[in-house]
Amino acid sequence: MSINKVTTLTEAVQGLVNDGDTIALGGILSREPVACSYELIRQHKKDLTIIVDSHDESVELLIGAGLVKKVESAYIWVGVIGSGLNFRRAVEKGIPRHVEVEDYTNLAIGMRFLAGALGVPFMPVLSMSGSDIPKYNDKIVSMKDPYKGQQVNLVPAAEPDVAFIHVQRADKMGNAQIWGMLANDVNIARAAKKVILTCEEIIPTSEIRKIPNMTQIPHYCVDAVVELPFGAHPLGVAGYYWLDTPFRKEWLKASKSQEGFDAWLEEWVFSWDTFEEYLHKLGSDRLAKLRKLERDNYRIPRIENY
Amino acid sequence: MNYSAQEFMVSACSRLIKDNECVFIGVGIPLLAGVVASKIHAPNSVLIYEAGGIGAISRRLPWSISDNATTDNALVATELWRVLGDVQRGFVDVAVIGGAQIDKFGNLNTTAIIGPDKSYQKPQTRLPGSGGANDLASSAKRLLIIMRLENRKFVEKLDYITSPGFLAGPGCREKAGLKGGGPEAVITNKCIFRFDPLTKEMYLDELFPGVTIEEVRSDVGWDLKISSDIKIVEPPTEKEIEIMHKIDPLGVVLGRKSIQENQSFEDYYQIMKKCYESMALLI
Repeated sequence: MSINKVTTLTEAVQGLVNDGDTIALGGILSREPVACSYELIRQHKKDLTIIVDSHDESVELLIGAGLVKKVESAYIWVGVIGSGLNFRRAVEKGIPRHVEVEDYTNLAIGMRFLAGALGVPFMPVLSMSGSDIPKYNDKIVSMKDPYKGQQVNLVPAAEPDVAFIHVQRADKMGNAQIWGMLANDVNIARAAKKVILTCEEIIPTSEIRKIPNMTQIPHYCVDAVVELPFGAHPLGVAGYYWLDTPFRKEWLKASKSQEGFDAWLEEWVFSWDTFEEYLHKLGSDRLAKLRKLERDNYRIPRIENY
Repeated sequence: MNYSAQEFMVSACSRLIKDNECVFIGVGIPLLAGVVASKIHAPNSVLIYEAGGIGAISRRLPWSISDNATTDNALVATELWRVLGDVQRGFVDVAVIGGAQIDKFGNLNTTAIIGPDKSYQKPQTRLPGSGGANDLASSAKRLLIIMRLENRKFVEKLDYITSPGFLAGPGCREKAGLKGGGPEAVITNKCIFRFDPLTKEMYLDELFPGVTIEEVRSDVGWDLKISSDIKIVEPPTEKEIEIMHKIDPLGVVLGRKSIQENQSFEDYYQIMKKCYESMALLI
């Protein structure tokens, strides 16, 4: 009961991700694995297919860096502050490369992960009927259900090669505890062939046992565990830190042109060797303030209180 | 009383949310309209956010459907497919969403403005996609749509139907097997549109004070029908405006100004701290 899966992000990505892989990403705005996207970019992984529900930086950065050949998604944008300029440029103009799109809805993507998590080939959903989503996506199969004759749309199981999931805390085995919204992470972890789990804190298994309901991903789904504080920066993690909006605005501004975005990548993604250096570049005062903004108001309750 | 178009939209939308309703909140103006309703006339409404937050009474305005605030002081923190599944199952009374382009049957496009000689794979303008909007438009009992009335947003025919309104007219939703009631109202910065129960066509029902029928008509891309009993929307009250600004002191929803300005991290930190203090007064 003490399998140690702890590794570094660099090693996990080197060992578990291949060019041409299909990648799923956890979180939505909160807990998006942004540091993992930085690492994929740093290792120049190629021709990735991305399956996501609704994502921001974690996907936008990959598209802008030219790593993505296809997205199977419900929504890609830069939430709260602006538009997905990298996504637009890639789809509309093929810069830095054309990204093929395959549209779904959030529930449809959720059902794809659920099917993958259950090991069944597809799931039915009532959404999308009458819209143009199935018209442009031939993976969606419309049929009458064999029991009541109701119109349903079938969506295929998502079985990503690798999933990146960032959570609040986990033990060395990979039992992952999530606080706040879960998005589709519970099913993504089960649907993926390999899971790279990053967390704000590694905690002893004895702490996990105190509140097992919070363990949303059991260790047997997980291949690598990386302790990565601020691994979602500039996005937030419930109970740990709030959104770094000035940083987000700065990179978004840079992404107005491909040249601007490339220069931003040089400065913020290629200029360091370890993620700690990135955090150092941001400065401890800034990180402490992002943490304070969250924790003065919202934190995981200490279970001793009960 | 002075008020902005944005304040007017928030107020008009919030008033359409009823007490005791389970309200599914979309991105943009709905984020603020839901909280305003819950602080004024609908204290028992329960706000549901797509990434899994149910019933948050948060100490800051949720800026999106998935940020940390959406489960702050909440009743439930669960999964995305679970809450959208609850809509499909019929537990949700009303959903409030925004749109980029709409046609006369209330169908919405948030996927792509394809444009002449262009394709879905290489459109003139790519938009974010459905998110959960199609799921809500398909299955929510009531659907409120909020979007600005601007040229080329209200069009005769869409390039792409992302989220279903009444599709091609009467009987189409039923034929497609959609369970939800379809759009009830479209709240804009100039007026409120509703849908004819027989023809399912969008018509002008209420004007904001000072706006003319011609002004509305000129921004609509089809021969717009006008209610024979046209009403004037009650402007926001002083209390509504005061509460809106307490909830959104940064102007994330009310005015994009402060969030778009080049702002130092230190300024941002100080303003965010004030946000908490401001919201705390309302809890």
